[in-house]
Amino acid sequence: MSADAFAPNIIGFFCNWCSYTAADLAGVSRKKYPPTVRVIRVMCSSRVDPHMVVTAFVGGADAVLVAGCHPGDCHYVTGNYRTRRRFALLQSMFESLGLGTERIKLAWIGASEGSIVADVIGGLTETVNRIGPNPTRQAMFL
Amino acid sequence: MTEALKITKTPDEAIRALLAFLLESGKASAVLSLDRIGQDGAPIYSLITEAKGLESAAPLLPMMPSNAGKLLAEMTELAPSPEPIAAVLKPCELRALVELKKLNQANLENLLLISTTCGGVFPLAIRNNGGISEKLAPYREALAKGEVADGIRPTCRACEHFVPYNADLTVALVGGQANDGTCTVLINSSRGAEALEGFEGERTQAKLESDAIEALRAKRAEEATKLFTASDTAAPGLDGLINIFGRCLACRGCSNVCPICYCELCYFDSVVEDPTPSKYEAQLRHRKATRVPPGTIAFHLGRMTHMVISCVGCGMCADVCPVGIPVATLFSMVGKSADKVFAYVPGKNLDEDLPLKKYEVDELSHLGEERIES
Amino acid sequence: MNGATVAAPEGVREAITDLLKRGLSEKLWDAALVPARVPAGDSFAWLLVRDGSVLDETLPLPPVMAVQGARAIYRLARRGVTGKVAAVLRPCEVRATIELAKLKQVDLDGLVLISVDCPGALPLKAYLDDPQKGDADFEKLCSGDDSAAREVCKVCHLFSRPVSDLHFATFGMDSGKSCVVAGSDQGRLLLEKLGMAKAGSLDKWERAVAERQEQKKQARTKAQATLSQDVAGADKLLETLSHCINCHVCRSVCPICYCRQCYFESQAILMPPENILERARRKGGMRLPTDTLLFHLGRMSHMSLSCVSCGACEDACPSAIPVAQLFSMVGDATQSQFDYEAGRSVTEPLPTVTYKEDELAGLVAPYTETYDAREASP
Repeated sequence: MSADAFAPNIIGFFCNWCSYTAADLAGVSRKKYPPTVRVIRVMCSSRVDPHMVVTAFVGGADAVLVAGCHPGDCHYVTGNYRTRRRFALLQSMFESLGLGTERIKLAWIGASEGSIVADVIGGLTETVNRIGPNPTRQAMFL
Repeated sequence: MTEALKITKTPDEAIRALLAFLLESGKASAVLSLDRIGQDGAPIYSLITEAKGLESAAPLLPMMPSNAGKLLAEMTELAPSPEPIAAVLKPCELRALVELKKLNQANLENLLLISTTCGGVFPLAIRNNGGISEKLAPYREALAKGEVADGIRPTCRACEHFVPYNADLTVALVGGQANDGTCTVLINSSRGAEALEGFEGERTQAKLESDAIEALRAKRAEEATKLFTASDTAAPGLDGLINIFGRCLACRGCSNVCPICYCELCYFDSVVEDPTPSKYEAQLRHRKATRVPPGTIAFHLGRMTHMVISCVGCGMCADVCPVGIPVATLFSMVGKSADKVFAYVPGKNLDEDLPLKKYEVDELSHLGEERIES
Repeated sequence: MNGATVAAPEGVREAITDLLKRGLSEKLWDAALVPARVPAGDSFAWLLVRDGSVLDETLPLPPVMAVQGARAIYRLARRGVTGKVAAVLRPCEVRATIELAKLKQVDLDGLVLISVDCPGALPLKAYLDDPQKGDADFEKLCSGDDSAAREVCKVCHLFSRPVSDLHFATFGMDSGKSCVVAGSDQGRLLLEKLGMAKAGSLDKWERAVAERQEQKKQARTKAQATLSQDVAGADKLLETLSHCINCHVCRSVCPICYCRQCYFESQAILMPPENILERARRKGGMRLPTDTLLFHLGRMSHMSLSCVSCGACEDACPSAIPVAQLFSMVGDATQSQFDYEAGRSVTEPLPTVTYKEDELAGLVAPYTETYDAREASP
């Protein structure tokens, strides 16, 4: 890898109970996936205020991932239903604003789905590699 | 067909007379109306408690110095009004009030809500640009024919919700019935009926959905398409957003006057968002230079995530902006699309919960499950 | 007079930019805070610049004062700065920065304040409507015709030589030349490190400045006399404020108004409906939002002693209220009562944090006064 190669920087909000456990499992099972995600553990995916996704995006993150339990399996019962609606809002916003939706992703990952973590991160990294670094990285007048 | 009262006065005179009647009969302790204050006749909302105070009132003036829904919410935030108050509001101001009620920021008890079919308002800048008096006649003519009036706020041109929801009384201002020297007031509730008892006028049956209203609705839809797809604010992308918000002063005027933005201390002004040396360092790691104060786009997009679902398109934000950023057009456009996802119209149904407050167990199934093959 | 001549064949802005570049490469400072035209070309924003190459795209002394420089510094330096930052400011922006330092909102230690003779600024809205005409108008301003300048700029006599570290002199200088004058120990040290040649006599500049100051002072006295008549008494003042919509933009763009949450936006003035109704009843009616006059007079009472007449408030007002002229006039009056001038000196304490035991005797009502019960009305 040349020193100048673009290294994707993905911010990932992982809920403590399902998706973080899955990420842990992926590690323990030696699943290979690119080291592109900065993991932020939250107790529930519904802790993520949509403006946090915006802050990360505008702050230069090449992609922002919100990972939570499958609907119906939320440790706090209804949290991820909220997450889902907020994400729908974010998607609609980003589309209307012409920012595209490839850089923001919602993923339901169960506690035993270590390989899904690898898949999701791998896939997202590939997408980012394809579309390139987020222009917010360099923009001076944000 | 609805119960209605036909008053043999022009709408301006009729509503002023109605407000006087409400005060004098004790049916209202105070009325909230647009007023013209001082020697300059500055359009400002006033809470009037005496009939003689209505001499300067201009309840139907097409101006919006503040969003009256926000004013009523601020007044009833701590407690509901202890006494009956009648308020004359535009449909979007009424929708804002309803949204604020859903957000637990307003109490609707003891409020008599009088609204009108709305032709839009003129931008605040008109106060320094010759004033409104010469614009009124052409404005009313346009309304009578169901046309979009010239010179009104862009979001007014594109507004399809100009027939009020949740009004106790609706004054018909669109169509011929508004320009023939009489005033038709539709009675939508028992509170409205009770308020009009004893007020002089011909009891009749009337409906609002006249040809003029349909025509106006169609024209407004056209304008909305134009405004939201063909202008600089349509799908601007990052570069477009940087252009639009380049001249932003971070003055917070937009959020200050926004009826939905009710937070006493905005998150984006709180300690959490304070720029620190390490934040600047982080920014300068990737950039040759960074803007100060930082976080302009983050503020606007962040504010969007917080309130755009309830945006009523009143246009106060763009009017107050010192540097003329088309905030209202942008937010209104995003709000409309977001609301479509949830089949929601802000302020329409009092009983309908806010989209982010409720959920369905089975919905939006396309989100969260897609797997990208790696 | 400690000064250094600089060649400024392309004008003083070029000279300032060159100095900033030198300072960056010679590690005299780690970053520069300087205005730059925004990508859309219609206004200016502050950039914190690390990379010298960007400086070519910046524009010190822009035609408008979009974000007041002291406000930008406050947002930058509120929690301290890493290393040194050189900021290029108008004199009123320097003065506001000094006031903020006294108000403990800015630490001057991390800053190098660079200023330049100011010909004034254009009204922001007018510039935005037609940036090309604005640029042409600014040229006129620079050559002495201030007919297009903001009202507060027309009567500003503090356009030169604030207490900055380095000041670029332009008035009365031969074209193609400027002079950098040191205003502090840090400034003198910097000039030494830069090895800049000592200037000859600065008499021409000093005379030009003095002459202009005299003109401006006279214009100021005249303008304030007219204004004070226009707003004399509650009725006239209320008339001037009649279009106010309580948006509070004047407060948020003011460099001195640093409160995260303004008192007049807090719970303190939030009233239950009983209060509103009662007050409305007393007068037969009350404008909403209420407490407009209270906001303006209250804000005056809070910041008047530090008001630097920069005019940011009036630029931002959507109701075209002459709020800068009003606050400026009151600021002059309140400050002169204490022989104080906002931003004049770093060491001079704010009037409200100091006192003399014997002063302001004329303010206090006499301790005893004869009261004749028979004279009092029944």
